[in-house]
Amino acid sequence: MRFGLFILLLSFCSCRRAPESEPTDVSYRVETIRLPEGLTGETGAIEFLPDGRLVACFLRGEVMIYDPKKEDWKVFASGLHEPLGLLALSESEMLVMQRPELTRLVDTDRDGKADLFETVTDDFGMTGNYHEWNYGPVRDTAGNLYIGLNTASEYGIVMPEVRGTLDTTLVPGKPLQKFAAVPYRGWIMQLKPDGSIHPFASGFRSPNGLVIDDLNRLFATDNQGDWVGTSVLYEVKEGHFYGHPASLLWKEGWGRGDPSKLPVRELEAMKTPGSVLFPHGIMAASPTQPVIDRTSGKFGPFAGQFFIGEMNQERILRVMLEEIDGQLQGACIPFLDGQGLIKGSNRMAFAPDGSLWVGHAQHGFAGDLGIQRMVYTGRAPMEVHAMRLQKDGFELTFTQAIHDTVSLNSALFRLRHYYYEYHLKYGSDQFDVQPVPVNRIDISSDRKKLVLVLPEIKAGYIYELTLPGLVSDAGTGLENKLICYTVNRLVE
Amino acid sequence: MNNYFKGGYFSAVLLPAFLIIRFIPLSGQVPADTLRIQIHAVSGMQYDLVRFAVNPGSWVKLVLANTDDMEHNLVIGRKGSREKIVAAALALGKDGPAAAYIPIVEEVLHSIQVLKPGEADSMVFRAPRSTGVYPYVCTFPGHGNIMYGAMHVTNGVMPRLAADLHVPEHRRKSEEYHHLKQRPSGHPYTLVPPYHYRVLMPDAGPAAIAVCLSKDLAYCWDAGACRLRYAWEGEFLDLTDYWTIKGELHAKILGTVFYRDQSPFPLRLGHPDSIPAVKFKGYRLIRGYPEFNYLLNGTEIYEWITPVEKGVGLVRQFRIREAGRPVWFVHGSGDGVVYQSDKGQWAENQLKLDPKEAAQFTLTMIKTGQ
Repeated sequence: MRFGLFILLLSFCSCRRAPESEPTDVSYRVETIRLPEGLTGETGAIEFLPDGRLVACFLRGEVMIYDPKKEDWKVFASGLHEPLGLLALSESEMLVMQRPELTRLVDTDRDGKADLFETVTDDFGMTGNYHEWNYGPVRDTAGNLYIGLNTASEYGIVMPEVRGTLDTTLVPGKPLQKFAAVPYRGWIMQLKPDGSIHPFASGFRSPNGLVIDDLNRLFATDNQGDWVGTSVLYEVKEGHFYGHPASLLWKEGWGRGDPSKLPVRELEAMKTPGSVLFPHGIMAASPTQPVIDRTSGKFGPFAGQFFIGEMNQERILRVMLEEIDGQLQGACIPFLDGQGLIKGSNRMAFAPDGSLWVGHAQHGFAGDLGIQRMVYTGRAPMEVHAMRLQKDGFELTFTQAIHDTVSLNSALFRLRHYYYEYHLKYGSDQFDVQPVPVNRIDISSDRKKLVLVLPEIKAGYIYELTLPGLVSDAGTGLENKLICYTVNRLVE
Repeated sequence: MNNYFKGGYFSAVLLPAFLIIRFIPLSGQVPADTLRIQIHAVSGMQYDLVRFAVNPGSWVKLVLANTDDMEHNLVIGRKGSREKIVAAALALGKDGPAAAYIPIVEEVLHSIQVLKPGEADSMVFRAPRSTGVYPYVCTFPGHGNIMYGAMHVTNGVMPRLAADLHVPEHRRKSEEYHHLKQRPSGHPYTLVPPYHYRVLMPDAGPAAIAVCLSKDLAYCWDAGACRLRYAWEGEFLDLTDYWTIKGELHAKILGTVFYRDQSPFPLRLGHPDSIPAVKFKGYRLIRGYPEFNYLLNGTEIYEWITPVEKGVGLVRQFRIREAGRPVWFVHGSGDGVVYQSDKGQWAENQLKLDPKEAAQFTLTMIKTGQ
């Protein structure tokens, strides 16, 4: 590709949404948003302005604003370096996380295009290794920003010149593992309103998805690979370590050399467990950004729950959390599986109208290009609304009453447990895969709740439940039948 | 088959892992004339070898080495069965990992289990007696619609690659695997100079900014080092490789570098030998040209770079409002340009400006020999 002399085109093609049908037998319909001609639809970030316009970053450097009413795209900025995160403060001011810096983009002359690119922070190292992507920022109620800094890949390079102090203790990753040759790769950083930056939590491999929930808790996903047996959602707390040792090299006062050489048991004892694990190749292979349903029902019956993107399959995930004995844990279940969503769901954002928009990417991985949105049709879905751990089993709450409870047979509920090992080697097999018998099923009087009574429940296991084809009173079949619950703590 | 290893020296790290080759036990003898096929699973979710030809009924030993950074398998199927196999693999659901994502359907002929990064495995099989095209595909969820190739069972030759509809469209250009080539520019607008790109550049730190000043003039500014690194004449950049896979390759300079800053650091505050500590504060676009803003020992510098009106060269307009001390601009020797300034006193390769002059001065750099 050669860039020569060109003529600047300020107008774009008329960008219309794909034709919509209104099927009445689905609870959600998927629409594809038409991108401007010529754009490579590798979506790095999406967010909505309060007026309903979408701001989107694309990996070839554009920040664009889409007006859904006019179906019109405009360029806000260009030339950025793999922007993968966005916090739109207003139509004229945005924070963009790009590879080298967190940058404040300002349209000072109000011509619709950014003209000022201020560095908010570049106080982190970079080696030029492809895997050193950066994520965020997300903002808590105190105004602190959080950004995630990927580790470097053993399959990538370290450039002759790097930014930041170079420590080759773990370079180039012998044995094969991700590394952190410069500070603070593998960390989530906190930027205080006074502009200071603090290493907040360590142990991340590839935290491609940060979110702050309504209780001001920070969450991050991480991706299966070395030291990450299966992909995971963490609640991220200050000072905690989340398992990938490379980052420990930059822990204040670290004087123990290569952290990956520490006994695994010692690292495991330091490690904070994930809140929800996503069984690899079953639920997800590469989870991305979590968003929280704050639509008060506009997006259906899942208010307050997490939706999380997934790169490899034509679905996203839904996550149900609960706190047991001070530890978050819960269940994950596919959402909109094979119903028109394409792969590569990298970024998500709820529009003011309650639709959930998805920006897709592939960037050399499994995935796809473009932007879609999911719209709730108002037809109540038949889904597991919540899965909760009880002292002697699991309680399942459904979005609608189960019609035929007479024929419910515990033998139809296929349950098994397994765990993933924490180790250097890439990924993990499933260990101690065992079927778990369901002793009894209790049904609530409103037929919306089932309790599966089990002979025994073990902490540290994933319980994978395959439900039978339950049908609601309205005749709606259960949409997603595979649900996985991560048991960190037992109910005493 | 081309050597795909990216980092060069990383291949030395990878190779020992390939020695863990497991042979499928066979009943009977494998003939000496067994055809050996080596396939790598490579970055960008591709098999480096996108097709190969075998004679009907001949013996094949296929070695799969996973040099990518994620898991891959390889399944050979009956003619025309790729999509069905991929769908059956996805339908395995929770049973996928245990089955190595290989479905038990009659279309599957041979398979190599899921390999983790750095692993290799092989299988020996007899090619079908019926001529035709047998697909091979990675059935890991999400990979099957882009990561595949074709085994041509034939007594003749394979069709022209460009006309081979059994390989992914973007692989029909070259027998060798190069990175997935993307369509031109990939932007929803036409680029008109001046414009800039944040990309990985050669001979600079990783936080670089490439600025296209005109159709035949460009420079590289280093936001990590807070300095102009080099300038070139000719076309701007070839970003084909850079945009292809995961952003791990440099942009390629299409023109000829005529200027390269050879000094330890050009601006000095207070003393001509004082190399300042730097901090990058960002840039503002003025008529499309970036004006860089950075701190040298805490003193704010603005630097706006535009092309000279005639010939080949750069005009650097500096603003150092709060210098408070003399400012030196020191250049190396043999950096390819002739310097002029509108203020200050030159002494060999040092320009000295008093604080008042430093508040606003212009340095012009003309390519040597013009």
